[in-house]
Amino acid sequence: MEYVTPEGFRLDGRRPMEMRQLRAEIGVVSRADGSAVFEMGNTKVIAAVYGPREVKNRSEQLNDQALVRCEYSMANFSTGDRRRKHKGDRRSTEISLVIRQTMEACILTHLMPRSQIDIFVQVLQADGGTRSACINAATLALADAGIPMSDLVTSCSAGYLNNTPLLDLNYVEDSAGGPDVTVGILPKLDKVTLLQMDAKLPMNILENVMQLATEGCKAVANYIREVLLNNTKQLEFRRGV
Amino acid sequence: MRGIQLSFNKTQKLRLDKALEQLEYFSSKLNSNAIVTVSDTIPVNHEDGVLKGHGTMELEGEVVATLCGVVERVNKLVYVRPFRARYKPEIGDIIVGRVIEVAPKRWRLEINFSQDAVLMLSSMNLPDGIQRRRTAVDELNMRTIFEEYDVICAEVRGFQHDGCLHLQARSQKYGKLERGQLLTISPYLVKRQKQHFHHIDQYGIDLILGCNGFIWVGEHVEVKDDMIEDQTNKSEQQNNKLSGLASHQNQEHNYTPLELRQYICRAANAVRVLSTLGFMITVDKIMDAVEMSTSKNLNIHEMLGAEFYVLVAEREAERRSSSSKKR
Amino acid sequence: MLQSKSFVRKTKQGKVVKVVREHYLRDDIYCGATFCKVCDVSGARLTPDASNIIVVDTNVVLHQIDLLENPAIDYVVVLSVVLDEVKNKNISVYNRLRAICSNSLRKFFVFSNEYHKDTYVKALAGETPNDRNDRAIRVAAQWYQNHLGSSSCVLLITNDRENKRKAIDEGISAETVESYVKSLGKPELLDLVVQPQSGDVNMEEVEDLRPSKRKVIYIEHKPMSEITSGLLRGILHQGKLRVNRYNPFEAYVGSESIGDEIVIYGRSNMNRAFDGDIVAVEILPREQWQEEKSLAIAEEEDEEEDVHLAPSSADDAPRVIDAKQGSEGNTVPARPSGRVVGVIKRNWHSYCGSLDPMPMPAGNAGVAHALFVSKDRRIPKIRIQTRQLGNLLDKRIIVSVDSWDCVSRYPSGHYVRTIGEIGDKETETEVVLIENDIDARPFTSQVLACLPPLPWSVSSEDLANPIRQDLRHLRVFSVDPPGCKDIDDALHCTALPNGNFEVGVHIADVTNFVYPGTPLDDEASQRGTSVYLVDRRIDMLPKPLTEDICSLRNEVERLAFSVIWEMTPEADIISTRFTKSVIKSSAALSYVEAQARMDDSRLMDPVTADLRNMNTLAKIMRHRRIDRGALTLASAEVKFQIDTETHDPLDIGMYQIREANQMVEEFMLAANISVGEQILKHFPLCSLLRRHPSPTKEMLEPLLRTAAAIGIDLDVTSSKTLADSLDQAVGDDPYFNKLIRILTTRCMTQAVYFCSGDLTPPEFHHYGLAAALYTHFTSPIRRYADVIVHRLLAASLGINKLPDIFQDGTRLTSIADNLNYRHRNAQMASRASVELHTLIYFKKRPTDTEARIVKIRSNGFIVFVPKYGIEGPVYLTTRADKGGEWIVDEHQQKVKKTDGSVSYSVLQTVKIHMEVVEPQPNRPKLQLTVI
Repeated sequence: MEYVTPEGFRLDGRRPMEMRQLRAEIGVVSRADGSAVFEMGNTKVIAAVYGPREVKNRSEQLNDQALVRCEYSMANFSTGDRRRKHKGDRRSTEISLVIRQTMEACILTHLMPRSQIDIFVQVLQADGGTRSACINAATLALADAGIPMSDLVTSCSAGYLNNTPLLDLNYVEDSAGGPDVTVGILPKLDKVTLLQMDAKLPMNILENVMQLATEGCKAVANYIREVLLNNTKQLEFRRGV
Repeated sequence: MRGIQLSFNKTQKLRLDKALEQLEYFSSKLNSNAIVTVSDTIPVNHEDGVLKGHGTMELEGEVVATLCGVVERVNKLVYVRPFRARYKPEIGDIIVGRVIEVAPKRWRLEINFSQDAVLMLSSMNLPDGIQRRRTAVDELNMRTIFEEYDVICAEVRGFQHDGCLHLQARSQKYGKLERGQLLTISPYLVKRQKQHFHHIDQYGIDLILGCNGFIWVGEHVEVKDDMIEDQTNKSEQQNNKLSGLASHQNQEHNYTPLELRQYICRAANAVRVLSTLGFMITVDKIMDAVEMSTSKNLNIHEMLGAEFYVLVAEREAERRSSSSKKR
Repeated sequence: MLQSKSFVRKTKQGKVVKVVREHYLRDDIYCGATFCKVCDVSGARLTPDASNIIVVDTNVVLHQIDLLENPAIDYVVVLSVVLDEVKNKNISVYNRLRAICSNSLRKFFVFSNEYHKDTYVKALAGETPNDRNDRAIRVAAQWYQNHLGSSSCVLLITNDRENKRKAIDEGISAETVESYVKSLGKPELLDLVVQPQSGDVNMEEVEDLRPSKRKVIYIEHKPMSEITSGLLRGILHQGKLRVNRYNPFEAYVGSESIGDEIVIYGRSNMNRAFDGDIVAVEILPREQWQEEKSLAIAEEEDEEEDVHLAPSSADDAPRVIDAKQGSEGNTVPARPSGRVVGVIKRNWHSYCGSLDPMPMPAGNAGVAHALFVSKDRRIPKIRIQTRQLGNLLDKRIIVSVDSWDCVSRYPSGHYVRTIGEIGDKETETEVVLIENDIDARPFTSQVLACLPPLPWSVSSEDLANPIRQDLRHLRVFSVDPPGCKDIDDALHCTALPNGNFEVGVHIADVTNFVYPGTPLDDEASQRGTSVYLVDRRIDMLPKPLTEDICSLRNEVERLAFSVIWEMTPEADIISTRFTKSVIKSSAALSYVEAQARMDDSRLMDPVTADLRNMNTLAKIMRHRRIDRGALTLASAEVKFQIDTETHDPLDIGMYQIREANQMVEEFMLAANISVGEQILKHFPLCSLLRRHPSPTKEMLEPLLRTAAAIGIDLDVTSSKTLADSLDQAVGDDPYFNKLIRILTTRCMTQAVYFCSGDLTPPEFHHYGLAAALYTHFTSPIRRYADVIVHRLLAASLGINKLPDIFQDGTRLTSIADNLNYRHRNAQMASRASVELHTLIYFKKRPTDTEARIVKIRSNGFIVFVPKYGIEGPVYLTTRADKGGEWIVDEHQQKVKKTDGSVSYSVLQTVKIHMEVVEPQPNRPKLQLTVI
């Protein structure tokens, strides 16, 4: 199958180095302390953050830092075939863990001892790159909840098909069976907090693909920063003095 | 639009946008460049020496924000004042909270802080008003004072050495709140002021703007000396209720006139509208909104409709334009 | 730069799954005209000297690809919507179109109209995809006209009447292919134009050619929907049609649904299907199976068999019609027979051949209809139209098929190009190459750029490289056929103080020069193997590598990859090691020379001593191998002596196998096996190995029958028993045993390459060599498989990293498949080349010789001529009075005259006369007659 035409177009009309359209909205769940919707093309993810709040289960309470928990789920209607997705299957447990660890790396948990932060992410529409979208949505929601973070975490995926590194794979490209590298970075600190791939890829190509994904992360970071700045400005001027 | 899940028609949308634009215009004259997001660098003059406050950290010699908010500078101190965040207690804050647990010698309260707050039995005026050591009997009777899910008003006493937040309620004005509505809004919309208790005479309602973003709108209660007796009565009532014997007399006492209840609702809805629009909550604004709703002959439920939101936004724009002109 | 709008397309497929895809439209797609002022012209192809800019529609591409390939057609805009449609309909046309588009000499430009914000069209409600695409083409054509303005004229070419009308209504100039080509004023191009089928535009323009013939000859194909439901219900069976190479009236469809092959007899049952088509077959009622078969035989009459080279394996041999069924009419045949009811996917491409001789039509200028006969007998005759009949009659030409209507006996096609004169050696050689899909073009400059600078010699860096061992002190020599220039193997043998021998096999280190992923590597992997024709060699690698840099020539330092064993005098391997090395060959011997040295007892020089030692070891190894059950098979390879001036064959004879050949072969086998073990140990999932499947009972059936007829009992339960019984099959004459072996070889399939991850270890077995695993390591100059194995071996030693492709199982499998395909084609081409030269040889030399009967036929027998390695029919009767006075005894494999005076039985020796006759002009063939 040809995923990149010789003219350099992908199936959906993007060029290999182009991302899908990003859209983000903050404050979509009124009851939550922080919440956001993040879209990468047709992939749409909602995230809600509760906390820092009293630890529900005292035995899990940490005396020097906050407890971060994450729950990932996929809406039944998120994919083409409507299938009941029971909670706690291997995939969602794994992604929950991935998101938790990634977010924990940037939250300044020591500032909120004896408390707990709950992150709920749900995929509303799945079209490839859900993992990245979840992390981006969670970052926005955490920032919205006013939880101190050392940096924003942003994530983006990249793949390698037809001997071309492709940024931000959509579902069709993702299911082509090629490698799919998901990278999460701390843009300010210039550190990688997440690197996932479940395929074989030669080292030198991996470097290229990772580089591309990192560029993607930076683009996402710029977008997220812009959204946050706008949101903060809105809050500021609405409140008045 | 943030938090507003209403369907505006075209004109309403236009009007709302215009009003918000105006608001932006007035505030942009202020300190919009002081707004930072997470991981933004805060420009500081290192020679003067810098004290890094909340919401900042040092990274490779730079001061970097860890929150989204406004940079504030007080002498050498630089800190970021966040907007949407949980309540950050300060000693002396008047707060409204809800009892979630009755524990030995203490109540635990949910006050929108990262932990539950503690109200010790000893930091509480006893119903009989006498200052004395708390006995085991008092401890057994704690539930007669506050039960689970009671809404109470108290003052922040401070952090204990174990990091717990302690409250106190050593005045008649503090205590259980009844016959009203509790509203929760984001704490940044409540400004710390001298006065947090408000009695709106014309409607006969009480308004408590808790610093933690919990707002109480309820029937006015006279803070009198006979409060003590009142409370005894109340506790008796409750005992009666518990035993399932609701006397006619008590019913009468519990009765709140319809008109008063309507005012409570109007005031509560006004708070809802203002907070959804993200405007600072003050008594004036609430009363203004209530008046507007009555003058426009709007039903209580219509206050939550699109039109009223637009009206409130326009009113706010007007207010700010006039105040800036005054300046 | 991305200005995108997202669109939503919904498609429903099968289970009602809603598919939502994004579709980004953009404004950075350029028109490709060099003279355009708005667009970026970096990739532009369309120069301003074009009279017209042509936009073609899908059907034009699909049907007129040969026309588009002609350099006279240029300034074509290919829209992405057209490309997509072509891709879905016919991938080979798509590839050809892509090749034109990427050819920098042609002015073809691909315009991605589907992604352009102005030319994307959304399907309207109720609009079929076809209509939508037609509209998209018109919109794009319109856009081009508006975009380029008056500077050039955009012409839409379509054969769809409706589309043309709409285009003209919308103000786009449009024409049909024919009228456009006519307007170019080049009559020879018109031959390339495919005549539109009925239902297309100019039905009124094309008068029906032979109205009298308008009767239905073939059954109408069933509609696709009916086929699909039929397949689902199990009434119909799907499979690839394979036409018998030796009897084009018989075909097989391997069907998964019934797990057996369905036989299809006769053209009418084949119902217009070509070899390689995916077809839907209906099984005929059981009682008809027999009758259909006789029909096929009857039809067979007008075909005749040619003399050809003796086959060397079952893959080349004719499929055997189960003769028993023919004679004993009452037994129910085992194989179901069927009839094609529909073609699911066509496998049409172009074919090489010539025109059926026919008288010139009255006026030479007019259009003539001719019948084209393909070189490949599996392909039916093809009817073409031509304006240059006189020119083409004695030429080899290429023709491609366009359609096959059920009222016409033959498919219709069109002329593509001329190769040359029939019978001309150059032409025929090219035909051989084309027929076997062999790329004989010179290497491109990109490929040649990958070569090291010449003159090349071993550098000090090579010597200093720690992975490379300096073995120049060893007495290394090579033994090859005389005149061999691509020497890829050399040997050494040193006696060790402890009485053992150190034996080394040194193979040219090709991978030191061919890096993975370079154009050179890609080219080699495509070619797969060097092809040896009688008078030329088509190299897999460019000549400097083949003949100089890699070739382990005499007295020069060369890089090698060595396998070194320590062996006891009993030829037991004590240790094996592999290393890259530098060697210096001290002698390049030919087989004859080596043999002569060994035989000459006076010679006592060191090389000869080494040779003798090695020969002793090899004999033990060979013996051991045979004990294990390896088959000593034989093939009838022939050798030509070629005139150096004219390149015509001077003499022809059996290739003689000497002890020296066997000696070298033995060590190569051992090296291959050692390497195979090493790479499989390190890379159990991605090694490239070679296997030889055990022959099945059915395959050995004809051999057993022949053997039984002459009273020999062959035990075929295992390769060991077979080898033993072959050893015992000694007849009265010395050639008898070899003949039996030749017949046995013919029953086996060929060994094939495969990727170790695709099969289980028991399947790795190599039947012929009786080895548990085997690979190819020793000829990297001429086989790509060896190059891969070299890389694997180097990686297993930690010398190199394993190239990426080894991590991709499917790619490795496809490489193995390609190697098998190329290998097979190379063999076929060699055989065809030998056949061609045999014909040329006998043209001037009618010969009498001895031959052996290998098969009995109803009207004669097939003989094998050992001296020339050819096989062909001898007819005892003329075709007309078939079976009159001769009686065939199937059981004893005998043919007798009715009066019993003369009889011929299988394996009998007969005297025959060989002569080249020309029954028709320009169609020489070799005829065999009994004397």
